[in-house]
Amino acid sequence: MKLPKIRELLEAIKALIVGPYTSKFPYKPHIPHPNFRGQPIYNPDKCVGCLACEEVCPSEAIGHEDITDDSEPRRLMIHYTDTCIFCGSCEAACIADNEGIKQSNDWELSFFDRKEAQETIEKELQLCEICGEVIACKDHLKWISEKIGELAYSSPSLYFSRLKSLGIIDENIISAVRDSGRSDRVKILCARCRRETTLTTR
Amino acid sequence: MPKSVIPIGPYHPLQEEPEFFTLTVDGETVVDIDVKVGYNHRGIEKLSERRTFDQSTFVIERICGICSTSHPFAYTRAVEDIIPVEVPERAKYIRTIIAEGERIHSHLLWLGLAGHFLGYNTVYMWVWKLREEILDVMEILSGNRNNYAMFKPGGVRRDIKSEDIPLVIKKIDSIVPTLNRLKKAILDDPVLHARLKGIGILTREDAIDYGALGPTSRASGVAKDVRKDAPYGAYDKVEWDMIVTETGDVFEKVIVRVLEVYESIKIIKTCLLNLPEGEIDLNIKDIPPGEGIGSAEAPRGETFHYVRSDGTNRPARHKVRAPTFMNLPTFKVTVIGETISDATIILAAIDPCYCCTERMAVRNTKGKKIYHGQDLIRLSQEKTEHIKRKMGIK
Repeated sequence: MKLPKIRELLEAIKALIVGPYTSKFPYKPHIPHPNFRGQPIYNPDKCVGCLACEEVCPSEAIGHEDITDDSEPRRLMIHYTDTCIFCGSCEAACIADNEGIKQSNDWELSFFDRKEAQETIEKELQLCEICGEVIACKDHLKWISEKIGELAYSSPSLYFSRLKSLGIIDENIISAVRDSGRSDRVKILCARCRRETTLTTR
Repeated sequence: MPKSVIPIGPYHPLQEEPEFFTLTVDGETVVDIDVKVGYNHRGIEKLSERRTFDQSTFVIERICGICSTSHPFAYTRAVEDIIPVEVPERAKYIRTIIAEGERIHSHLLWLGLAGHFLGYNTVYMWVWKLREEILDVMEILSGNRNNYAMFKPGGVRRDIKSEDIPLVIKKIDSIVPTLNRLKKAILDDPVLHARLKGIGILTREDAIDYGALGPTSRASGVAKDVRKDAPYGAYDKVEWDMIVTETGDVFEKVIVRVLEVYESIKIIKTCLLNLPEGEIDLNIKDIPPGEGIGSAEAPRGETFHYVRSDGTNRPARHKVRAPTFMNLPTFKVTVIGETISDATIILAAIDPCYCCTERMAVRNTKGKKIYHGQDLIRLSQEKTEHIKRKMGIK
């Protein structure tokens, strides 16, 4: 009967000396362990805009918006931090060596307005030179042509985008003829236009 | 004497989950109990069928905040049963470590809540402080305190870094002395003995008849544990004991859970120190048509999952059976004959988890709400005070 009380007394004295276990959070910031998986953050330099992260996201927290109406076509990659569950699937699926989107240590994600709970980056889009359809992000085409090496020279879309990014081709030289035929074959084209220009039955 | 009916709910008197109990009482004694479930239906099975096999694990993980490893464990085993494949050794060990970490924090959470219901708020604070250490360990191992996102069909998503292992072992060892003190405090306390011994008895026969699972059955002397009966993960490669006690009252259920925490600590340490080298993931590309079953020992008992595939990348059917579904009917034998103030802790003793159990939709109930959850907790705490006064303990 006495013994348990003494044990509990020891614990009470220890608590008096050590102080409370809880931290003084709002006054003292909480620093999580480096392994902590917090908010995923885009790296605009590494991300190629391939949308693999959007495809795998289980909570549909990643979306995109293609802006093609004004002079500079671009893709907005949007990460909705309010629906994100921090599972890390986006990072695991990222084709840019898992560095296009990376989970940070950041966990303070409160907002007053829900519309603010999103993070966006912009990527330049490559449009089809005939119909203006979205093909992919410029960085993505570059990434593919680097990945497959000299095989990229089998596809004009790939090697043109590669050469353009290197500044070898003058962007202003565009063929005046647009007939969706032979003269249009050596251009950056979407899959549908590529098929039409290659059809020989016409 | 006319019998009166006490409706409790539709939320549980103890945990913040919607639940409906009808206690029929004769004076202070409970003579009948009726349980209605179905207030927390979220359509998890349907949600899982809308997602790919890989994405489903995240939905399954959120069936329950506490069993956020057992459900994915059973699900991934069911998917692996369709193909069928054996996951790599290292993945098995990592899965076991995460599952046992979950068991420790779940049992400690229950122990704290039980202390709170009995009026021992010191135990509540003390145990939840211990639990923080385990949650920190889980954060180091998986990157999150809960919902670890470690499981995937064919392996695990993240590896355990070898430089983290010494810190994890140090943190796990640090809770053992406090746990020892806590165990002795529970075993020595005469009030707890008077309060918990001999109430809510689930006999061995009843446990078998009702098909009780997990600590509920093991406290009644039924040695039933998926980890021993059909070993999965690394459970057959490490040394550990199944805790089985005889009488099946609430006190024994506390004891089983406290002792299981020690076994879990033992399993985690053995696994961490003997972590084999190698791959952690099989990178499964296709799931063929077929059906598979998987089970895992959750902190509350056996979790069972059934998955049918039609060859696409989504499950065609997914069925979940949570342990509380089997343990819930034992209220019929444990609560009847006890007083209302004891009903609180008896209902809590099976460690019920209704959000795991809910697989069916809502129905309408009529009647007046008389007892709130807080009222029942107060009744329970008052009984402890009463016993203390009777025994002359301040």
